[in-house]
Amino acid sequence: MAYVATRGGEHAIEQAERLFRSDLGTITRDRVETVRDNFPYLVDRLMGEASLYEPDLAALALAQAGGDLYEAVLLLRAYRTTQPRIAIAEPVTQPDLFTVRRVSAAFKDIPGGQILGPTLDYSHRLLQVHVLMGEDYTPEPVIPAAEPAPATQPSLTDWQKAQGLIADHPVETVSPEKIPDLTREPLLFPAPRAHKLQSLARADTGGTLALGYSTMRGYGDVHPTVNELRLGEAPVRLRHPRGTVFSAGRVRVSQAEIISKSKSLELGFSATFGWNEVKVIAAAALDLASTRPDAHPASTEEFVLYHTEPVESSGFCIHFKLPHYVTFQSALDAIRDAKANGNAATAATGAKKLPTKEQEVAL
Amino acid sequence: MKLQELTKPWAAFNYGFLDESAKRELRRRILKAIAIPGCQVPYASREVPMARGWGTGGLQVTLTLLKPASVVKVIDQGADDSVNASSIRKFFGRVGGVVETEDTGKATIVQSRHRIPEEKLREDQVLVLQVPNPEPLRPVQPDISIARDMHGDADYGQLWLVLYEQLVKSGRIMQGAEYPSLVNGRYVITPSPIPRWDVPKLNQADHLTILSAGREKRLYAVPPYTKVEPLVFDDVPYRVEDHHDKTCYRSNVTGYFVNELPQEDGSSAYELSDSHFGIKHIRKAEGEPVEIGDTWYKNGRMTDDRA
Repeated sequence: MAYVATRGGEHAIEQAERLFRSDLGTITRDRVETVRDNFPYLVDRLMGEASLYEPDLAALALAQAGGDLYEAVLLLRAYRTTQPRIAIAEPVTQPDLFTVRRVSAAFKDIPGGQILGPTLDYSHRLLQVHVLMGEDYTPEPVIPAAEPAPATQPSLTDWQKAQGLIADHPVETVSPEKIPDLTREPLLFPAPRAHKLQSLARADTGGTLALGYSTMRGYGDVHPTVNELRLGEAPVRLRHPRGTVFSAGRVRVSQAEIISKSKSLELGFSATFGWNEVKVIAAAALDLASTRPDAHPASTEEFVLYHTEPVESSGFCIHFKLPHYVTFQSALDAIRDAKANGNAATAATGAKKLPTKEQEVAL
Repeated sequence: MKLQELTKPWAAFNYGFLDESAKRELRRRILKAIAIPGCQVPYASREVPMARGWGTGGLQVTLTLLKPASVVKVIDQGADDSVNASSIRKFFGRVGGVVETEDTGKATIVQSRHRIPEEKLREDQVLVLQVPNPEPLRPVQPDISIARDMHGDADYGQLWLVLYEQLVKSGRIMQGAEYPSLVNGRYVITPSPIPRWDVPKLNQADHLTILSAGREKRLYAVPPYTKVEPLVFDDVPYRVEDHHDKTCYRSNVTGYFVNELPQEDGSSAYELSDSHFGIKHIRKAEGEPVEIGDTWYKNGRMTDDRA
């Protein structure tokens, strides 16, 4: 009955999971809140890739996965996909954003002004090792500006359009329920603009950076300039059945416009949940590059969107751990047979064999 | 009428995990796939609580087909007790309240990775195959948009060329698993990476086969009694793996697809790949009343040639 006893698989996977979870210990509400409050940028990155804005759930996913980002994205996506879509918010335009940071590299100053906001861009990246010796690292107090920046800012692109520098593409009016939704429809190519931007919004930060960087570095025709980068909070405005538009809260968002400096000025755009500057800059560069008639894969819509999908790419990568012995056996059979036939053919025709390495050395 | 009468009590997840809109979409895609045998039908492919590449395509199809009376068998590489098969089967029990089985004959749905059971499936059974790559043209054309056009034109010349090159270079066709096959005389499919041994089991079969790739968001079907022909040249017959004379060291059964187990003395031992089929033979040999179903292969040869 040895064969029957091979139900070890079930016991093994259960124990393996227990081992992982016992290493992490008990997940408590306190622990989740600690993650949420201590790693806002990590939570933001995760919410962007999961395309689910809920800091508590994102922190829970991080705690449950022990910080494994791909696991956490999958946890959130698998939860998100079962939830009904109860309403579609009103569109958000740039002047609607409660902007905390806004910079343009294209001009020294812009209407509304450059607003640095919270950033480490100009900081010296020194590890505060004294903390480990018991000395707290307390930030210096922030001195408020004499005149606070306005909460909302105009769009730089509007100015460029008025100047005739950038083509003013006609705005398509689509009723909310007709907006293509990547999470409910398959991605087909050429992709609708909405699918492309949605796909980039939930793309893997690392993958987006790798491909975006390749186009910036030279595998592509784009010499990007940051036209405008914004971090802010977008109001989530819903329409009540009676017709009143009301705000249901705010979500942190990042958005980037990358402008090309070739013959005509063209814009690439990306926006995502959470504050994640690297991702939106890289994604906007990819958006811009993919409008070019360029054969390089990193400038090809299909190549970029398929290969920056975090759940699909990470899942496929780890699936190679699964047994593949049937397919291997299937190939082995043909290889052995071909080898045997090859040897037989060589012996039959007396064909000259290539010298072995030893014989070559001897020559 | 009260509001309460119109609503259901809150539950963390829907029956069968997927929400009804996802199931509705899948049912429509499955019907389309059955209507156009072998044609790859794109679907949204929801995230499920399992990693992509681990059977999420098959999982979504099975979840859509589930009902509480379903009896589900899940196999990976032919084995019921493989860790991932156990995990998937347990998930069906958890979200669908279904009966789990290892017996091919007792299952209403068989979800499988890389194998078709040795016992024949009946009209009332559905085989769901997990597919990593649904595109037979991928080796010659990685761009999906172009590959779709090629399917539209039935432009399969390059697949024949690949087989011809193998023949010229190696003296035989080297294609292992996922052997490209023509369905209903129209669409070429990759029959998931099942071994060549299993491809003839799809031809004019009594059962419905649904092949689903979750990561690639495509599904296709081989309806019952549909012609499935591996691509072969007129003068070079199709060859399955040389397993007709291999004997399972555990069950002592000969003539089915086997796993090769390297031995320390340099030799190989063989065991039946279809694990429960092996168990049945062992039990029967021990005198237990076991019913072994009719098999496609007999004495190591495909006997049910319906083509």
